[in-house]
Amino acid sequence: MSILTIAEAAKLIAAKKLSPVELAKTHLERIGRLDSELNAFLMVTEERALADAKAAEARQMSGSLRGKLDGIPIAHKDIYNTAGIRTTAHSKLLKDNVPTHDARVVAKWAAAGTVMLGKLSTHEFAFGGPAFDLPWPPARNPWNREHFTAGSSSGTGAAVAAGLIMGGTGSDTGGSIRGPAALCGIAGIKPTYGLCSRVGILPLAYSLDHAGPMAWTAEDCALLLQGMAGHDPEDPASADRPLPDFTAELGKGAKGLRIGVVRHFFETDNRASDATRAGIDAALDFFRKEGAEVRDIILSPMVDYFAVGWLLMVSEAFALHGPWLRERFMDYSEMLRDRVALAAMLSGPDIVQATRRRRVLCREMAKAMADLDVIVMASAPAEAPRIDNVPKWSGIEKPSFTMPCNVTGFPAISVCTGFGEGGLPVSIQLAGKPFTEPTLFRAAHAYETAMPWRSKRPAMAA
Amino acid sequence: MPVPPSIDEAELAAILKRAGLTLTPDQVRGLLPGAAIFQGLIARVNAPLPREAEPAVTFDVEQT
Repeated sequence: MSILTIAEAAKLIAAKKLSPVELAKTHLERIGRLDSELNAFLMVTEERALADAKAAEARQMSGSLRGKLDGIPIAHKDIYNTAGIRTTAHSKLLKDNVPTHDARVVAKWAAAGTVMLGKLSTHEFAFGGPAFDLPWPPARNPWNREHFTAGSSSGTGAAVAAGLIMGGTGSDTGGSIRGPAALCGIAGIKPTYGLCSRVGILPLAYSLDHAGPMAWTAEDCALLLQGMAGHDPEDPASADRPLPDFTAELGKGAKGLRIGVVRHFFETDNRASDATRAGIDAALDFFRKEGAEVRDIILSPMVDYFAVGWLLMVSEAFALHGPWLRERFMDYSEMLRDRVALAAMLSGPDIVQATRRRRVLCREMAKAMADLDVIVMASAPAEAPRIDNVPKWSGIEKPSFTMPCNVTGFPAISVCTGFGEGGLPVSIQLAGKPFTEPTLFRAAHAYETAMPWRSKRPAMAA
Repeated sequence: MPVPPSIDEAELAAILKRAGLTLTPDQVRGLLPGAAIFQGLIARVNAPLPREAEPAVTFDVEQT
């Protein structure tokens, strides 16, 4: 069976031309064959998967499918609580943790009929990685297993790219969906802050944490987001507003879109690789030819966004992990404990100033986007580096491209723009105004369907 | 942007201890390169803002 997208599989399942049980077995077979080289899974839940698939197949046969996610093989990042199934955060501290309840998003996907294949690798507590001093090894990039996946949704990125799952959950506090999406050559969206419930997801930093989907295409992300999003009164940040059809604008093309390019982010603030910049320029050429209006815009230096985001992230993380850090410092990976420990250097006024500056930056981005539909940035500076050459402080030496949308809460999606000199993916990031995900999917889908990149999988997955 | 002060091993150890983290000298030395970068980020968020510019750290009185 060739590797299908969710949209393709949903059509075949609806037409009774594809068995959900066979689909699940195919993915379980791929996991069995390939995952020992990828470490994308911390746990494979074969029994659960087959039970889910049989239930989906029964609905298929009785004409009672629950929608386009019914029978679709997925897996969850291992910070999403799964009732009765171990949830470790990839950490020694939670290696035997078995939640009693599903995270809200896990329950929503299950109710939509998805088939759960297992739990996926993450950077420890969605923060520290790649780490080689944990009970489980870090995930590897399927395009080249000597290279990094980025993180923290590392297992999801690797598993989607290799065709082990059709989609999966990620979380994004400073770029943890878009980073692995970029380096693994898939699509991943950090939705607007408040769109998806975080209830039952192990937190890293409450004011920056976002739940979101990762998949091979933007269209698949739209389908998955439809099954994730929605108001949850138990999440204080949850937005109480009508849910749009996230696929509503797919196929409308790029004509008429107003696109702003934050060129200084990837040309001067943190100069991206030649291949990354060439990919962005080619994408902008595509949008212009399709009839979009494209112009450069100027925001504050990217490091201003990054400094605010990083300080808030580590201070909130320290508040959460402080008790364990004080008593079990060495039970964390060096990557996590050393990064979070630096929060001890912060004063109360530092946090107040970061919070004040955050709102200044939110207003700046909103003003810049007032007459725009999409803004364009890089997702990552370059192709994935070697996994054994990721310095402990690399995450703060240069400002990240993803943090600005964590600071502002604006939605942003990463999609593949081709391949660099090393044969690994490069990418572009499209961001929108709050709750304009359908427009982001429209732009990303128009680009993806016009380009050849979605027809090429990693060699190991062929 | 204000220039961050330098930080040495003794200062960093004291700051960590105040936060309840008692680390070995090797562990503190391992943090020093990151601490220097981190000081730059702290300085960045402390760049002057007019006092009235943004009264953040507010809350919604109706939120439950």
